[in-house]
Amino acid sequence: MTRWVGLALSAFLALPLPAQSVRGRLEGRIPSTAIPAVDSLIQFASQEGLPTEPLIQKALEGGAKHVAGPRIVAAVQLSLGQLRDARDLLVRAGDQPPVLPAEMTTVAWALRRGLPAPVVERVVAAVPRPPRATALHAVADLVAHRFDPDSAAQLIIDAVRAGVPRERLLDVSTAALQQVQRGHTQAEALAIVRQQLPNVPAPARPTRGNVAGARRPAAPVPP
Amino acid sequence: MSVIDPRIHQVLDGELAAEAVPAELRPAVAQLAAAAELLAAPPPGPVVSLESRVMAEIRRPAPSRARRMMRWLVTPYAIILRVRPAWSVAFAAVVAALTLFTAGDQGPELAEHEGIAQFVGRFPDAQSVHVVGTFNDWRPGSIALEDQDHDGVWRASVVLPAGTYEYMFVVDGERWVPDHLAERLVADDFGRENSIVIVRPARR
Repeated sequence: MTRWVGLALSAFLALPLPAQSVRGRLEGRIPSTAIPAVDSLIQFASQEGLPTEPLIQKALEGGAKHVAGPRIVAAVQLSLGQLRDARDLLVRAGDQPPVLPAEMTTVAWALRRGLPAPVVERVVAAVPRPPRATALHAVADLVAHRFDPDSAAQLIIDAVRAGVPRERLLDVSTAALQQVQRGHTQAEALAIVRQQLPNVPAPARPTRGNVAGARRPAAPVPP
Repeated sequence: MSVIDPRIHQVLDGELAAEAVPAELRPAVAQLAAAAELLAAPPPGPVVSLESRVMAEIRRPAPSRARRMMRWLVTPYAIILRVRPAWSVAFAAVVAALTLFTAGDQGPELAEHEGIAQFVGRFPDAQSVHVVGTFNDWRPGSIALEDQDHDGVWRASVVLPAGTYEYMFVVDGERWVPDHLAERLVADDFGRENSIVIVRPARR
């Protein structure tokens, strides 16, 4: 009996850490039949140096939305493919392997938001690491409002080069959107904002009421 | 107020002999005469003139600064404030307003890397609305929106680490709805769209 307990304990400890924590997070949250397949996909990701948290989140999302097991597995597999594409894009753009997991997540997000791969590659190559995520979201915001992807990317790259801080890059895209709301064409809006760089309108601060009434979720997950 | 018989006054003034007053007035005459003698007698002990007392007070050494300060502190003074009632009412109103609006819930203390995500949705017929996303492991029911004035607009402010999150609203515990006010949407790979919120650090 003691020998079996010892063997079981050794096998448990021999498992990689992500595998131990992942099963615990998935059990009871997704159909049990889908757990082995999702678990092995996450193991693949871990072995390849890909981030595993987006895959876990995708599985939990499917479970919360009461999606059938096979569809959850398919969605996780699709997410795994997107992360691989993101890693390959980052390497093509000049990042030295091993690529940072956060960078892969960022690029995968940009591709899912509809940015063409060449545009993402251009931004990644032109913008240094810290503001990349914000820069890609700023470009994606403009493209979502029918701005030309190349022109939108160029504006954000110009903003970075003009010294606009990372946390203000989203204000650059917001400023361009405001110009369109004032009746300018997309091209005119980009030209106006480019002339104003590095000055962009400040974002609205959270109101006192919103800060006072804010709550913390029980267990926030780091992005 | 009792009135002294005028004959007693005459006796005390020496205008009338004590034996000339009636017998019933004699005890009062005797009492008043004794009292007059007491008042006329010199005070016991050495006699000190007014002048010497004033000079003694002048020559007494001045008390120290600390002693004067202590005396000033313990001596009661009357302070008279002349205030118009209208001003005092206004002052009370200002104090009440400051107490109400500043002493309330200040909200959570935000760390350097944290920001506030504001979720707003219009669901006029909903009984409950929750926000579910990558910030709470897609766990339904953990973050409820509130409609305090019952106008159908549900709100929640949530403290999150700065970053990008996907989320949806869950209405009445079963209906999954994207946030149509959010300008960022992304396919959820299950046939619907998730909303995206980018939380910026509140302290910059």
